[in-house]
Amino acid sequence: MILETFEGFWSPLVWTAVAVAVTLLALALRSRGRRDHKKGTEQTAPFLSGEAAPDGVHVGGQHLYWGFVEALRPYIERLRAAHTGFVVDYVTWLVVALAGIMLLVLLV
Amino acid sequence: MNLATHVPILAIAVPLLGAFALPLLAKVHRSLRDLWVLLVGAFTVAMLVLLAVQVFTGGILVYTLGAGTPGDTVPEGFPIRIMLVVDGMGAFMGLIAALVGIAGLAYALQYLEEEKGKTLALTLMLLLWAGMLGLKLTGDLFNFFVFFEITSVAACGLIGYRVWESRPPEAAFKTMVMYTLGGLLILLAVGILYGEYGALNLAYLSAQIGQGPLDQIALGLLLGGLLMKAGSVPMHMWAPDAYGEADPSTAIVLVANTQAALYGLFRIVFTLYGGAGSPAVGGLVTALGALTVIVAVLMAVLQTDLGRLIAYGAVSQIGYMLLGAGVGMATLGAAAGGEAGFGLVALQGGVFHMMNDAACIGLLFLCVGAVVRATGARDLRALGGLGHSLPGVSGLFLLGSLALAGIPPLNGFASKLMIYQAAFRLSPILTALAVLASILLLAVFVRAFQGVFLGPRRPLGGTAAVPTGMWLAMGLLAVVVVAFGLVPDLMVRHVVAPAAEALWTGREAYLVAVLGG
Amino acid sequence: MIGNMPFFVSMILVGLGLWTMMTRRNLIKLAIGLVLVESGVNLFLVSLGYVRGGVAPIYTFAPEGVPTEIPMVMPTPQALTLTAIVIGMATTALLLAFVVVIYRHRGTLDAGKIRELRG
Repeated sequence: MILETFEGFWSPLVWTAVAVAVTLLALALRSRGRRDHKKGTEQTAPFLSGEAAPDGVHVGGQHLYWGFVEALRPYIERLRAAHTGFVVDYVTWLVVALAGIMLLVLLV
Repeated sequence: MNLATHVPILAIAVPLLGAFALPLLAKVHRSLRDLWVLLVGAFTVAMLVLLAVQVFTGGILVYTLGAGTPGDTVPEGFPIRIMLVVDGMGAFMGLIAALVGIAGLAYALQYLEEEKGKTLALTLMLLLWAGMLGLKLTGDLFNFFVFFEITSVAACGLIGYRVWESRPPEAAFKTMVMYTLGGLLILLAVGILYGEYGALNLAYLSAQIGQGPLDQIALGLLLGGLLMKAGSVPMHMWAPDAYGEADPSTAIVLVANTQAALYGLFRIVFTLYGGAGSPAVGGLVTALGALTVIVAVLMAVLQTDLGRLIAYGAVSQIGYMLLGAGVGMATLGAAAGGEAGFGLVALQGGVFHMMNDAACIGLLFLCVGAVVRATGARDLRALGGLGHSLPGVSGLFLLGSLALAGIPPLNGFASKLMIYQAAFRLSPILTALAVLASILLLAVFVRAFQGVFLGPRRPLGGTAAVPTGMWLAMGLLAVVVVAFGLVPDLMVRHVVAPAAEALWTGREAYLVAVLGG
Repeated sequence: MIGNMPFFVSMILVGLGLWTMMTRRNLIKLAIGLVLVESGVNLFLVSLGYVRGGVAPIYTFAPEGVPTEIPMVMPTPQALTLTAIVIGMATTALLLAFVVVIYRHRGTLDAGKIRELRG
């Protein structure tokens, strides 16, 4: 049940076994945790810099990985500008790529 | 008639004739039409599985249409016949088409609406399926072009048939321009090869082909046309339009169609040209693959339309396949000296990834279809909280996105691992780019999942229950995603390795099977 | 040289078609450019099949009285061209049908303004 991947190997069953073992270990550690934790009290509410948590607010998908996306934004905006949706550009890219491929196969 | 000896042609002819009979049957009664679709689909899948069993156990299958032997022909001994040649790779592609086709048809039967062109869409889907299968099973270059155009026309019809909306016809027009131009490049190359060698049979041409300028021009034209249809950067811009605007059941067949173009590319480079000029071509394909992976994923990051987001994900997966196969092509020449083993592993990874990508991208598109059916919306900013009303769909969407991002133990991981490790040997930069793209892909899909399914209920809650046929289609793909993830070694040993082997070292066997010793 | 003329002409046609597609914005003109490329390729295929003084491929065998050194023409390129023309007609018709639909929705044929799908 082992997939050879040239320099290593991959066995999902071993991985699953390890994953189960790690989960059990985590559960075991958790069961030894603090007894003074109480559900449904302020202890379980998120800490928002001491502010009261507003009702019904949900952090939408658009706000996940915000910093990550912001860091990439300059590159992405440049790429988006290239995706004009202009069908003539599509054709031009095809011709340019074809010219490149031709140069490569004829000269190399 | 002994059915088993006519399997290759039946796999093409049944969906083709089924497509043309379908509108007639729909005139009689709708339930007859649905039954017909299921019958044709089941029969074709059975034929493709039988074909795969025959090829994997008995070697290359050659099926001749027309004159039985070259001696029977007129005039002057030119064989007037067309061949279907199915080797391991062709049979493997047939299996992918079977999986995607049956899932797409089962889904479409319940997803499409009767008064919105359901009969026509089903007809075109069967036609697209037939064209795709023909593309994969034929051993004749002109036939290859004809099937290429059949898939083009059927695909663009399917993308743009919803003429009452403004976006699908636009997507269909752009795709059609690109497909037709790509098809003409291929036809020009076929013409050049015919003029040079006076034959269209792939094996015969392969035996004759040299490295002259005309051969190289034909190779360049074929590469251009097929890379375009495969959706490689910078010729990928039609792909997100097409996948994003098509029905989800169509989109998954379109993705498989893209893979058929990749298959054509592999067939041309490995079998027809036998790796002539392979380091240059391999380098080109590898570079385009790496570029495709990273550009498409970056474009996916800021998408707000769910369909378009997944479409960019699909384009990026094509990049992984190009990357794997490109590393294989680049080392094909060195492999003759007994040096490189990693090229074969890369090729196996690329080939395996085709199957995995068909399953997990297909699953994602089908989940989007369920979301659209329930809410009528695809905008990430408007959707939210669907996990309350569609818990099953949200689970499947999560499964699909984790598999696509290559999270163990799902199927995307195994094939990506093979590509990463083998590409690392060619250049560590390739692996770095591919891993980076995978991480970005995970971020993109976690964002999409959070935006669509998590959070409190929204007005666009969605109440419509998902019908059984759609569940069956999604369930089938989900089972494939999990099963191939848990036993990748069996898949690789019994199905992927023969397919990759057919490209890697199978050229001699291919020529012998068609031309005789 | 003169024998190669059709090849030059066909390649000029292909080039003109590509040039049209890269420089015009009107959707109908884009379709015309595509048809020009197609005509160029078809002309290329037909001129491949021409054999000077050959026997036309309407016979199975060369007719009586024709010297054996006169070659029979292979009908394959003509068959290819016919198929390609039929396919080309189908694609052109579909393309123009989409142009009509797009015009009804947007009221323009300027490809620069038909860019709802981008980014």
